[in-house]
Amino acid sequence: MRKIVGIVLLGLAAAAAAGATFLPLSELLIRLAPGQPQTAYVTTGWSTRFGGTEDEHGPLFGIPVVLAAAALLAGTRWRRVAYAGAAGLAGVTGMLFVYLLNAISFHEEGNIAIDPALEAGFGNGIWVLVGAVVLAFGAVVVHPDD
Amino acid sequence: MIGRPTAIALIAAGVVLTATAMVLPWYSTAYAGGVEVVVRAWGTEIVDKPGDWPAGELSPWYGVPVVVTLALLVAGIWITRAALAGAAGQVGAAGVVAALVVSERGHALDQQGDFAIGFGLVFLVLGTLVALAGAVALQREAAA
Repeated sequence: MRKIVGIVLLGLAAAAAAGATFLPLSELLIRLAPGQPQTAYVTTGWSTRFGGTEDEHGPLFGIPVVLAAAALLAGTRWRRVAYAGAAGLAGVTGMLFVYLLNAISFHEEGNIAIDPALEAGFGNGIWVLVGAVVLAFGAVVVHPDD
Repeated sequence: MIGRPTAIALIAAGVVLTATAMVLPWYSTAYAGGVEVVVRAWGTEIVDKPGDWPAGELSPWYGVPVVVTLALLVAGIWITRAALAGAAGQVGAAGVVAALVVSERGHALDQQGDFAIGFGLVFLVLGTLVALAGAVALQREAAA
């Protein structure tokens, strides 16, 4: 039973982590001129977009996330690999959190004069990643190996 | 197989290399007019900041997660599992930095800037790999 629960939790954690890369990690909604519709500046694991324009050199945060998710899947066989994958995903999430926290503050501070009503904050992707880290460590706890 | 003393020596070397990375520049981009953006573990320094530079401070403290992984590596000398958590966590954190470096290099080249990797990043990568080798060796030795 523990084996099945461990495998399911690791699979869920890996799927959640990989899925999070397609969700917004941070968002800025801003009106560039009064009366205009809001333009969204969105960072995901695979792109950075401002309105319809994509930053062709946007950071690909999805790569380290997917590699950590792959380690979690390999961890269905070996507990220590699952543990390393969970720790790796926590490291990715922690560093990403630090980067995004500062980027959100930069966007707020730099654009508040243009649109005092702008909205800037974390997207759902970062919270799904945090959830994936919790699931991954939960899976390690119930893992039957060693 | 690497014995426990060697594994611990590798972890200690990884800690020293990573700690050195915390005080050295990680990467920098030089633009026309002598403007230079230097990224470090504890903030971004802009040399000769022009008047029309965007408001706000894009100065993340990348050192915070690395200090946590360093603490786990040090704890790993006594608690074997902590070493693996520290080393794997540091690999993950370095992965995000790698994504940022590739992105920043692309932006710099687009704007005819000169992008350079700093010694801090070299020490971070070396420290991470050496600590990982030590942590893995420590797990194998404990399992034997």
